[in-house]
Amino acid sequence: MANNRGGSAIIGIGEVPTGRHPDQGAISFALESALMAIGDAGIDKGEIDFVIPTGSLFSSQFSNELATCRLVEELGLKNVTSNCEVFSGGSSSTNALRVASALIESGRAKSILFVHTDKLGTGVSAQGGIDLFSTAGISMEWEVPYGQHYSTVAALATERYKFETGTTDEQLSAVCVSNRKWAELNPNAFFRKPLTIEEVMASKMLSTPLRSKQSNMLFDGGAAYVVTSGERARDLTEKPAYVLGEGGLVTHFAYHQEPDLTRFGWAQAGRQAFESAGITPDDIDVAEIYDSYPIYQLIAFEEIGLCGRGEAGALHMSGATAPGGTIPTTTDGGMLSKGHIGAGGSVSLLVEAVRQLMGKAGPRQVPECRFAVETAVGGTYMDAQVTILGTEIP
Amino acid sequence: MTTDDVRPAKPVPVVAAWARPFWDAAREGRLILQHCEDCDRVIHYPRMACPFCSSKNLDWKNASGRGTIYSFTVVESNAPSAFAGDVPYVVAVIRLDEGVQMLTNIVQSDRDELVCDLPVEVVFEQLNDEFTLPKFRPVR
Repeated sequence: MANNRGGSAIIGIGEVPTGRHPDQGAISFALESALMAIGDAGIDKGEIDFVIPTGSLFSSQFSNELATCRLVEELGLKNVTSNCEVFSGGSSSTNALRVASALIESGRAKSILFVHTDKLGTGVSAQGGIDLFSTAGISMEWEVPYGQHYSTVAALATERYKFETGTTDEQLSAVCVSNRKWAELNPNAFFRKPLTIEEVMASKMLSTPLRSKQSNMLFDGGAAYVVTSGERARDLTEKPAYVLGEGGLVTHFAYHQEPDLTRFGWAQAGRQAFESAGITPDDIDVAEIYDSYPIYQLIAFEEIGLCGRGEAGALHMSGATAPGGTIPTTTDGGMLSKGHIGAGGSVSLLVEAVRQLMGKAGPRQVPECRFAVETAVGGTYMDAQVTILGTEIP
Repeated sequence: MTTDDVRPAKPVPVVAAWARPFWDAAREGRLILQHCEDCDRVIHYPRMACPFCSSKNLDWKNASGRGTIYSFTVVESNAPSAFAGDVPYVVAVIRLDEGVQMLTNIVQSDRDELVCDLPVEVVFEQLNDEFTLPKFRPVR
């Protein structure tokens, strides 16, 4: 892999609070986030020459509008050569950044605006959300007829992982508690009241061993970021979030085809990312780990090398991942506490990684934050994606 | 099974043309698996071309119908609408003796006996006139 370490950087971010906003269209979350990101970058909007929206799940009509240049027109961008959607479900954050970095480094674009918005909290009903996610990314021939949906998907990995590693339900619940502690410090998060392991363990059983408070909930929201060259970034800010490395591995489409439901493709994706970034897991100051369900936070955390196999549960239980801990993890509260907004689940995490690196995280700022890792994955955890960002180039 | 007519109909498999023999066999109470005549590998789910060697020289073989539970879950709530009347029901990934994995339901079982790696065998449940789904039960 060519070493383009630090050839591109995120220089501006924007995000609206996750929540239920029935009176607002999804377009408003997109425009608010985009304007914030451009303002945060400190550039003139006329500098934006490429726009990458990602897909919006609640409405195919609206998603088509994003694919067909609505944002460019609404924002009054006059120098955009291309509006081009990049969409891979929950891994859209990483894949869009991968595309944006390649465009910047090859000279095909100078300043790229990425935008995500969705309205899964009020744009679809609660049962509608369950039904949407009983087919989205699930094989219509081999899984849908058996009642597969996202609770069973997560539960199947959880059951096998518990069986192989001895991880307990309390340790899984500790992930929810750790992420909640961060959400308490995040004004953009939906769930901000303190949570205990006992409360998680007492919540309704969905699909054994998965309980309702171990499940994400769907909300409305949006976020955006601006990518430019590393060189230009240095002119604009003292702390650009350089794109240092990335890795990925697609392991399945139909969930039952996954050879190892307790590992997925994270180990290879992590190795690639750290090698290309020129750092090791020990160098990481903040880990933004995709957490649609606790099991996926534990697996990715271990497999990319932040701790050993079967150790992540105890580590989350110990407080190491919570505010003040040794390895601050999923510091915006994640999908479990900030709220799940579709493809935006990992966009939030990427934006949060940048926020921490740029020193803009307010009460939850991780001190001396130099290197961040973000993980993202789409559909039924079919494509492990790892991105490493930093304020310096190793 | 529910008799509640208000709920949406059960989703039926959206069949790829090359998988039709699998569903025809299931309707007759037989579990068959695709087999690559060139690289001698067993394939499931059925593909247009062999996922190992890309050959289109594919045939079918009868499966043993035996395997083990790789993982399982008992759905208690928040099921998709069409399955709301079925709770609790069991979704599982099975590792067949032939070395391939498939998603299924575990039926005719006591939930307390379910555990990873439990031996299971195929049974067939008719969905409608066109489709019968292979499901599995613990080996007695």
